[in-house]
Amino acid sequence: MVSEERDAEIMARLQKGVIEFDEELVREASHEALEEGVDAYHAIMDGLAAGMDVVGELFTSKEYFVPEVLMCADALNVGLDILRPHVVRGEKSRVVGEVVIGTVEGDVHDIGKNLVKMMFEIAGFAVHDLGRDVPLDQFVEEQTRTDSDIVCLSAMMTTTMLGMKTAIEKLKAKNPDVKIMIGGAPVSAEIAEKWGADGYAPDAPNALQEALNMIKGLRKLESQG
Amino acid sequence: MVSGRLNSRERVLGLFQGQEIDPIPVFSGMGNVTVHGLEEHGWRFPEIHLDGYKMATAAASTPRLFGFECAVVPFDMGVEAEVLGCEVNYYAHRTDILYPTISGKLAAKVEDVDIRVPEDLQGAGRVPVVTEAIRLLKEGLGDEVAVGAWVLGPFTLGGQIVDLDDLLKMSFKKPDLVNSILEDLDRLLIALAGIYKEAGADYLTVREMGATSDVISPRLFGSLIRPHLERVLASIESPKILHICGDTNAIVGQMAQCGADAISVDQKNDLAASRAEIGPDAIILGNLDPYGVLVEGGPEDVERSVGEIIANGADAIWPGCDIWPTVPVENMEMLMAAAKKSGGGR
Repeated sequence: MVSEERDAEIMARLQKGVIEFDEELVREASHEALEEGVDAYHAIMDGLAAGMDVVGELFTSKEYFVPEVLMCADALNVGLDILRPHVVRGEKSRVVGEVVIGTVEGDVHDIGKNLVKMMFEIAGFAVHDLGRDVPLDQFVEEQTRTDSDIVCLSAMMTTTMLGMKTAIEKLKAKNPDVKIMIGGAPVSAEIAEKWGADGYAPDAPNALQEALNMIKGLRKLESQG
Repeated sequence: MVSGRLNSRERVLGLFQGQEIDPIPVFSGMGNVTVHGLEEHGWRFPEIHLDGYKMATAAASTPRLFGFECAVVPFDMGVEAEVLGCEVNYYAHRTDILYPTISGKLAAKVEDVDIRVPEDLQGAGRVPVVTEAIRLLKEGLGDEVAVGAWVLGPFTLGGQIVDLDDLLKMSFKKPDLVNSILEDLDRLLIALAGIYKEAGADYLTVREMGATSDVISPRLFGSLIRPHLERVLASIESPKILHICGDTNAIVGQMAQCGADAISVDQKNDLAASRAEIGPDAIILGNLDPYGVLVEGGPEDVERSVGEIIANGADAIWPGCDIWPTVPVENMEMLMAAAKKSGGGR
């Protein structure tokens, strides 16, 4: 076991590596963590993911933009590849919830969707990724097949976001209880409400927070029922 | 003050020459086809991208049905990428509105891209379709109504031909490599704009939506993208407009200095702040929400929006993106009526 001080140092290095998109630093710090007996799950959550939280803040405050966030995500993935095989199965790896995610038909942009997917996976969601340009019925089929709690729809352009409206109608008709979150550049909270979505997220960190709130809501309903 | 006796074409061209046009013109540099124009012919949306006659007829329907003061082609963002060898999905069998997308890129990685501009650009891909449409529009209504055409900006086209996430990362990691690709794309776009002008387009819009500050920093815009926009715009005959959508307040000053005769923004832009920043003489267009207001809103929302846009300093009523084709007739009618009623611009 490492000292508290050394543990904090490793976490800080993992965070710094993610925040400064320094893949080499993340690689080094991840190996150090494993060699010195640091719990891999702890390193992922309090090192890598904590770094990504800061990246989210930098994005919100417009210090970082999409290219920077993508490079941070690459650095984070370097660490995940090293650490994840060492996570001890058990309570910590319990699935938080299940999510179907994809970019709607007519839209081939998937950067936002992929960032949201990554945040979900780190937070312990099981993610069923349908990819991009996804026919709307496929969202319904996949939600039914996996009995997922949440469906996340993404569109990048005004000219493609209309598919989400139809997808929401189809999903709600098949399963009124499913929670639907939409996101993407042209989408707004007003549009989400108008179309009957349960949530809206302007970016990846907000998407995760929104999803965790939805899951909390669902669990409450289940425990009451 | 120029009186209302001018026809639409004279009003639009007069605006770019710095004349004060009364009442404020209503037009766009981007797509404005509506389902109402398509229904007259029983055409489905995918058909109008592939046939010059259908493209022209669809583009002409909006000025004819509503008095909109321009006709604009093409409708989709695939023309340039297709010329370079990308595969386009037209969603050919669909009956609803889906814009064509790039289904096969030149390469996944920026490092692997090899750009070859066809020697016979006039005859490449759908360039003949678009030029035929421009010629037909020019013949059919070109004395009365302004004919517009548009090309993508170099960076946005870059995102069409290679995976966007790699392009964005390489813009940071290997700016020289991205720069050399953008130079190739500049040449294609300059040549294409020239072909459209030659065919009869009255004005040209460069749509650089990939360079919005929702995606890249104002700093990177200035160092990597702006030089290419300056270069492309310097080689396009006037009138020429630079359009960037999304969050553009941080770059609107830079946009105004790229060499365009006018800049265009969408509804996310704080127009009054932009006007204050670029000064009273620069021409700024856009800000009208082409879906939230024009499709989802009622006529009263359209009327209010027109009033706000004029008050905030726009030089024309110009939708911030392609008009979504299912726009209700009463909203299009109100758009025209509200502009007419409100009198001149600034």
